[in-house]
Amino acid sequence: MISRKILENLTYNFLQIDMSLKLFFISIFLFSLSIFSNITIEISRGTEEPPRIAVVPFLYDDQSISNLLTNQISDNLSLFGEFEIIANSDLIAFPSSPEDFFYNDWKILDIDYVVAGFISLEEDTSKYIVNYFLFDIRQGRNLLNGTARSSADSLVLSSHKMSNRIYKQITGVDGIFTTKLMYILNPEKDKYQLNICDINGDNEITLFDSPEPIMSPDWSPDGEKISYVSFENGNSEIFIQDLSSGKRNSLRRYPGINSAPVWSPNGNYLAFVSSRSGNPDVYLFDLKTEKISRITAHYGIDTEPSFSANGRKLLFTSNRSGTPQLYEVSLITRKISRITFDGNYNARGRYFPDGKNIVFVHRSEGKFHISIKRLGKSGLKMLTETTLDESPSVSPNNNFIIYATKDAENGYLAGISLDGLAKFKIPSKIGAIREPVWSPFLN
Amino acid sequence: MEPISIFLISILACLGSGCANDVADDVSASSYASVSGQSAQMGPKMDVNLPDKVYFEFDNFDLGDDAMDTLEQYIRFAKRAKAIRLEGHCDERGTREYNLALGEKRAQSVKEFLIVNGISSSKIDVVSYGEERPDRLGSSESAYKANRRVEISLY
Repeated sequence: MISRKILENLTYNFLQIDMSLKLFFISIFLFSLSIFSNITIEISRGTEEPPRIAVVPFLYDDQSISNLLTNQISDNLSLFGEFEIIANSDLIAFPSSPEDFFYNDWKILDIDYVVAGFISLEEDTSKYIVNYFLFDIRQGRNLLNGTARSSADSLVLSSHKMSNRIYKQITGVDGIFTTKLMYILNPEKDKYQLNICDINGDNEITLFDSPEPIMSPDWSPDGEKISYVSFENGNSEIFIQDLSSGKRNSLRRYPGINSAPVWSPNGNYLAFVSSRSGNPDVYLFDLKTEKISRITAHYGIDTEPSFSANGRKLLFTSNRSGTPQLYEVSLITRKISRITFDGNYNARGRYFPDGKNIVFVHRSEGKFHISIKRLGKSGLKMLTETTLDESPSVSPNNNFIIYATKDAENGYLAGISLDGLAKFKIPSKIGAIREPVWSPFLN
Repeated sequence: MEPISIFLISILACLGSGCANDVADDVSASSYASVSGQSAQMGPKMDVNLPDKVYFEFDNFDLGDDAMDTLEQYIRFAKRAKAIRLEGHCDERGTREYNLALGEKRAQSVKEFLIVNGISSSKIDVVSYGEERPDRLGSSESAYKANRRVEISLY
């Protein structure tokens, strides 16, 4: 242990001299990654005067490992403009633990937080052990002592976990760096993909691809399964797919549309829409007993159900008043109440995880905007300015909304922070991208 | 780093201004399977030499005069057909699942017209694609008009 420490220090001194060259290689590496990825994030505006944070390269003899981790943590913390990262070239010291950390070194940099750490290799398992620390410079306090243990192929995920810990410690809000986005990609005519990626656009994986349309994806609350609608058998049909095995099950298909599946918060039910009775109504499917119960029965269109956080209510769209509006139905009393009254198109609502607010699509002057509304209060707030905004999905920490919109030709994803300060765009380099769904917190 | 020295540092830090939060994570990545679907197979269509689409107004599923003129020409062929497939479609405006429902209403309007004219409902298959399969790409009024349609296929 001691001898390794000396070795690390020696190597580290050598590497500091060599740092600029190494950083050059690392930046080439990251650049090439973003070329191969289909999606890139563009931030249009950060928060006003975000906290300044330095992420000191973690002490380790293999600088590529160290940089992989610290660059990813820096990228995460600055992803939505919530933190300003101090460039490595501006660092005046390279501490790796509370032992060699001196607050006075950092005060002159006008800096709020420093992340530092050191890495070791567990010889019998070949796993990396990262010890990392968060220091609050203004308060002169060591806020966090963390360890993360991972194999080489999980280092990026490890950096996301560390970012979550750091983010939570500073903001008090759960970090979303290990969450994922799911969406439909339509790279060319008659080619549809159901994909997921990290929230920074990396690691895009195709879960299901088909020559027929795919729509309405949703995550199970444990993040292990998904549901979606596929037209592979010539009509809309609901499928549940296990993410690790790829095993797929079709819900029993009835004549007419089978659409808009969403999971209940306890994972025991799917709410969905079927027109088996002649017109679209909302139904519940009990995943254990496979029993189906009808929730709405109206001759108009009832669709787009969404469960409240406690699972006792559904929000849904109905045109029973003559135009699409949002309604709530109690799953206990089956009482239905109208929620939206502004304008003549309010649809595809989702509850916030906090249960107090809803987000939905509102039409104003012929344009479709993402809007939010506090339940029990009149009025609404339009959040977006583009014209064809749809499919809003809330991040599991309540802080962000991702949605689909469109420019002259192609669909892309866009996001907004609820404080309105951060806006981001996830364009696809190939074809149209739509129907984003933010994953729940993943382990 | 020797654990004992970290421990001592932590104790000192605690004495100074409250404890640091200690956290530990064992990290392993999930695996994701990738699955491919097949194309839906339809049989060969009957050749009727008629327009194969009728059109609708925005957020509306009523048949206009033009649509009824087209459909009337279909009646004699529809009587001979073994199967009739009606595909309802929408323009891109409005939400996707609502449009899926609207597309079905449009196809049902056509189905009802055929039934009223003596076609057996049992051989009519109604399908909605909502806004998922536009006939014409783009966000122009002319593209929207082309996309609000029901496609008729006789087999």
